[in-house]
Amino acid sequence: MPAEDMGKLTYGTRLTFAAATVACVLVLAISPIKDYRAEWKKYKRAFVRYAQGRPDTKKLLADYKPDIDQVWLPGINVTDRCTTCHQGMTQSSLADASVPQPFRAHPPIPHKVRDWGCTMCHRGQGPATEVAEAHETTLAWEQPILPAHFLQASCGSCHHQDLKEAPQLARGRELLTRLNCQGCHKLSDTEKPMLGPELSSVGYKVSREWIYKWLKEPRTVLDKDGNVTVNGYESGDESRMPKFRLKDEEIVALSAFLSMQKAKPLEAYKINPAIVAAWSKKPDLLPQAEVRFRQMMCTTCHPLAVTRAGETKLIGGNIAPELTKVGSKVNEEWLVAWLKDPQGYLPRTHMPRYGWTDEDLYKVSQYVMNKLTDSDLLTTVPKLDAPTDEQIAAGKRIFLEKGCASCHALEGVTPQRDFGPDLTALGAKNASELEFGKAKIAHNLLSYIQAKLQDPVAVNPAARMPQYTWNQEDRDAVTTALLSQTGPKQTNALEQLVVPKTEASYQPVGDFAEVYERYKCYECHRFNGFGGTLAPDLSYEGSRAQKKWIADFLKNPQTIRPTLVLRMPQFNMTEKEAATLAEYLSLSVEKPGVNPESVDAKQFTPAMVSLGKQLYEVKYQCQSCHTIGSTGGYVGPNLNNAGNWLTPAWTEAWLRNPQALQADTIEPRRNLTEDEIRALTAYLMTLRAGIKPQTGSSAANVHASGQGAGR
Amino acid sequence: MKPKMLTAVALLLCVMTVPGCKNTAAVKPVEAFGAYDTEPDWNDSTKLVKLSYQESQGKRVFYQYCVWCHADASPAGPSNRSNLNPVPPLLNDGEKLNGESDEFMQNIITLGGIAMGKSAMMPPYGKTLSPDDIKAVIAFTRAIAQPACQAPGRPGSQYTAK
Repeated sequence: MPAEDMGKLTYGTRLTFAAATVACVLVLAISPIKDYRAEWKKYKRAFVRYAQGRPDTKKLLADYKPDIDQVWLPGINVTDRCTTCHQGMTQSSLADASVPQPFRAHPPIPHKVRDWGCTMCHRGQGPATEVAEAHETTLAWEQPILPAHFLQASCGSCHHQDLKEAPQLARGRELLTRLNCQGCHKLSDTEKPMLGPELSSVGYKVSREWIYKWLKEPRTVLDKDGNVTVNGYESGDESRMPKFRLKDEEIVALSAFLSMQKAKPLEAYKINPAIVAAWSKKPDLLPQAEVRFRQMMCTTCHPLAVTRAGETKLIGGNIAPELTKVGSKVNEEWLVAWLKDPQGYLPRTHMPRYGWTDEDLYKVSQYVMNKLTDSDLLTTVPKLDAPTDEQIAAGKRIFLEKGCASCHALEGVTPQRDFGPDLTALGAKNASELEFGKAKIAHNLLSYIQAKLQDPVAVNPAARMPQYTWNQEDRDAVTTALLSQTGPKQTNALEQLVVPKTEASYQPVGDFAEVYERYKCYECHRFNGFGGTLAPDLSYEGSRAQKKWIADFLKNPQTIRPTLVLRMPQFNMTEKEAATLAEYLSLSVEKPGVNPESVDAKQFTPAMVSLGKQLYEVKYQCQSCHTIGSTGGYVGPNLNNAGNWLTPAWTEAWLRNPQALQADTIEPRRNLTEDEIRALTAYLMTLRAGIKPQTGSSAANVHASGQGAGR
Repeated sequence: MKPKMLTAVALLLCVMTVPGCKNTAAVKPVEAFGAYDTEPDWNDSTKLVKLSYQESQGKRVFYQYCVWCHADASPAGPSNRSNLNPVPPLLNDGEKLNGESDEFMQNIITLGGIAMGKSAMMPPYGKTLSPDDIKAVIAFTRAIAQPACQAPGRPGSQYTAK
């Protein structure tokens, strides 16, 4: 090429350069175009358009930025970009359901999104900037959004204490305890397991035929409407005994093995023959026995099916076994011995030891054996001969293999530890860590848990887990509780935010402890946070009630609440036992600051009393909730006998601030002056009634509600 | 021809990088995993939880404190309504309560009936319940009102039953 031509370009070269320039510009444009078309930017622009179409545009766009918005909380490991698209999150005017997602405001909750982020509760992939990646399972991310229906699981992964704001979680945890899931699985946050009955001497209690029937057909089934039924009656609760998939010969072997369990000889109790002779001839024995049975208030703890106006339903408490067909189950000799001394048969039973008279014992046992029966119960059971040695040996093997020992103690059998898988971190599992087998279900954790609860064998044909009977609501509740078991937290800062579960205990000493243990006061009453919730909390009983009243009440319990049907049983306490309890309760079980001696009723003047009556009836209209005489409301306790029942010091403290004495009471705290409090107390202390004889009222319309039973 | 060669190589390189710009990191969700992951239509009211968090807290407060007089039956059995004169409204009585403003409801629960010129039998709950509890009860009232409550000044209330 000549030197003078060096600076000149040929046409072809120019064309090539032009093409290359255009191509370069195009290539450079790709990135901005791609950026402009990013999914999250579409939502950004859509929000601006949406806001411009509303009257409050200015307010909605006040903090608008066109970039990715991010909540970054390194301490608790949160990097959430959800607010990039969910832009109306904190705009109160966008709360309405008509606002299209993703722009709707978050409903008010106790946690602020700026302090906690989103994925802490909702799960999903926080740093993602695409809809599918943020919400769903991808190959790189296996913790999808938690459906709103199960959202309470997230509350439970930090709040290990009881959480009344999350009822579905609380129900799920209650079921995990009630069904003794801890017998086989390791779980956190559930209370200590409530074990099935000890079987060491079950051979004295029931027949081999009954055991066969029980193992073959558990009485709990789901009816066609999806209700859980016990013995054919609708029940609000799951049966604790699940169905094991046993073959006939296995049931024969197990029944043989169990019917031979007679570790501790039965100490039969002989009812006075004169009483038996006198009562057995009476034509009205059974009607009279029924009256006595009802007066004993067995249904306060035991459910029982009753028919009223053509409708049969279960009534009564739910803390003890159902009794409808118990007469066809137990041997009479065992029943009498059991009622007389339950601890003699089961040392750790929940049943109190009543102070029976022989007459009562005879009547109640006759009623149970003759009236609470089902003649067809054992008709489907084949003829079972005396157990053979092979059957017994096979039965023992099955008892161990099926994990029976995880719930039922049996002398000479040691339960296998960690029989089922550890579930403490189940809620944080990735789908790829789960075995789905051939189950035709969506491959995610939620479907896995639901399928496993519904039918364990469908997921894993070799599963040892027995079959439970759930309604949809309870299965969802248990699923929620299981999803909340997410194991230890990823960071220390988070672990420190976890609210632990507090364990309460109450260990009285001396004579009181003996009576307390005999009558199992703690099964229904609560003492300093320990005990049942069926009956009033007695933590401050010494400040509240007068000693003489407590002793009189214990000898002849009367309900103080007009609508209450689950009532305290009559234990036939001796004078000495009642005095021991009253003495201890009035001296040791006090609310600090409410000294019963601090207010003397003698200082009240008639003028104060009449002012108090005026305040009660006119100004504050207390009669809308409380009954005096025969008029007034059903909500609060009957005040007929307030003067004998309550201490003046308690009454004053209560009127000042009821919630300080009992946090969950429904009585509102009012603006009373000290003079008004004095006057009302003076009036209430004049209300005195003799203790009326107990009437044998029926146990109908029972509503097993802790709230209803609260005093 | 050297510049031509260079441009050609440059062009070729550019063309080759174009597919490289395509974001291969975004993997489509595996279909089998999809069933429970998301609610397919976020605006479908039947797929949303029926009560919001606030409304469900209101329900809890209602069933502890208010149910005794403002419902047909109470957890203990019979309702206390029949003992009261004037008879208190049922909580879902939209005809009576839809007309009352949130402010009025807040006041009557906080201060009691007599302060608002109503029955003294309605006690004040201002020292027992927190303002949030009271707001929650009102939200629950609006949510279950029959006929449905149409909150004033809002286009298409969240409480309209569709």
